[in-house]
Amino acid sequence: MKSGRIFYTILFFFVFTSLLIVVGVVTSLTVTSYPIFSRDGLSFIFKSTWNPVKEDYSILPALLGTLITSAIAISISTPLAISLAVFSIEIVPSKFRAFINNISDLMASLPSVIYGLWGLYVLAPILHQYVMMPLHHYLGFIPLFSTKPIPTNLFTAGVLLAIMIIPFASSVIREAYNAVPYYLKEAAYSLGMTKWEAIKTMLGYIKSAIFAGIFLALGRAMGETMAVAMVVGNTFTFPKSLFDMGYTISSLIANQFPNAEAYNYMIPALYGGAFILFIVGLAINLAGLYWIKKVMIKS
Amino acid sequence: MLGVISSLAIISAIPIFAIIINIYSEGARHLTLNFLIDLPPPPVSGKSGGIGPALVGSLILTLLAVAIGGSIGFFTGLYLSEFSHTRLAHYTQIFLQIMVEFPTIIIGLFAYMVLVAPLKRFNALAGAFALSIVIIPYIALNVREAYRSIPYTLKEAAFSLGVSAPIAYLRILLSTARRGVLTALLIGMAKAAGETAPLLLTILGTTFTYFGGLDQPINAIPLLIYNFALSPYERWHQVAWGAAAVLLTITLMIFIISRLVVREVKV
Repeated sequence: MKSGRIFYTILFFFVFTSLLIVVGVVTSLTVTSYPIFSRDGLSFIFKSTWNPVKEDYSILPALLGTLITSAIAISISTPLAISLAVFSIEIVPSKFRAFINNISDLMASLPSVIYGLWGLYVLAPILHQYVMMPLHHYLGFIPLFSTKPIPTNLFTAGVLLAIMIIPFASSVIREAYNAVPYYLKEAAYSLGMTKWEAIKTMLGYIKSAIFAGIFLALGRAMGETMAVAMVVGNTFTFPKSLFDMGYTISSLIANQFPNAEAYNYMIPALYGGAFILFIVGLAINLAGLYWIKKVMIKS
Repeated sequence: MLGVISSLAIISAIPIFAIIINIYSEGARHLTLNFLIDLPPPPVSGKSGGIGPALVGSLILTLLAVAIGGSIGFFTGLYLSEFSHTRLAHYTQIFLQIMVEFPTIIIGLFAYMVLVAPLKRFNALAGAFALSIVIIPYIALNVREAYRSIPYTLKEAAFSLGVSAPIAYLRILLSTARRGVLTALLIGMAKAAGETAPLLLTILGTTFTYFGGLDQPINAIPLLIYNFALSPYERWHQVAWGAAAVLLTITLMIFIISRLVVREVKV
């Protein structure tokens, strides 16, 4: 009996350690960023200067950078992720299904620095020459495309993020699609629906799973650091078009942290940025988990 | 419409093939034994060089992370599966699910506060600590799945033998769930080997020594790729491609092994 008690003590110890770490992460963010919030209040969020010499920091441009890049990523990746999920279930011969799913899982497990390296030296020049320059040339009068692009900018970061988050959204959608009751599919076909109409009906049925997948992928996109830091341009300016070089909050931390110790308020400012990122990300992930739960209850 | 779906699906799979082809076509010619052992070359000269210190660092950091994060994650996952009715399990599970989605750079900031700022020096231990936190939720959630998939009758049989709880869970039932547990550890290992963001804030990485102790700065392959790729030197870009080929090979190997171990895995 004694060994049993020791075992349970150990078990509790490890579970508490896990909990403690989560609490510790949140506490360290709050405590370390407190000086900047108590000094600048909300102007830390809503101004757009980053001047270490004057110890004047605010993160609006980086926050906008995060929102813009993840918005680009989501709008590109959503149709692709849904198509990939449907393709692997409905269209591809069942022999190749495992292969497609393996490819998708492999995409999810590639290190982000590999995406970054490829994005910087392969994707960025291609996008620059074949997408951004033509858009700027022909549609430059639209403010979104008004800046003369160089290869690394917010748009490149958004496209790279889209590539990276496809598998996450796709696997959530795939699982939900597989869990749709079979009689529903039978009913759809027995009504004389074509394959496409049946697929539309099924997608309507798993709407909340699609939202869940998109939100979880959005959370990923907002938190992604290395790949973005390599292609976003790392320039602290207020973004006026998609082709501006910029920062995201996480790439700002990655880029500025190495020299942060030389200043009094830069470390609190970077932790403050991380704190904002954490709050926004938490809200998005909770929404995603909420939708997943809804799907699980339904099926 | 089906054609549109098929072509969109194929488009979304093109990048992964392009990445693998590009990385190996640029990086494979560097893959010699010396490249794996040598110190990095000086930025401007034709001298040969390699990624020795970063490879050693990555091995040390990954093994430490799997040891620390693996044990915490394993027992947490075991608890989540076998005591799922308790309130503690319920909240731990929610916390872990949120933690999976944490931006890893935030975990780096935490490790910096706990282990770098007090020691006043970037160090290997802080890096290993950060990496273990990154992989805990992955391991815990996958171990939970592994134990949950054991049939209830088998659990009843194990306990009806009259053995104590540790023997039931760690010898009898673990041998049933071993594939799932092994997969969980492999997923954690792949994550730890490729993760970069927290290392930037904990180990610094610009050192030309192999290993100077856990309280000293250390390098790692992903960090080397990041630093060298963004450097202005063409020679270092070449090293970055070579290092990327090494990292990609490691990732692919772990991925293939984990697929051979078990067919249906949750990532």
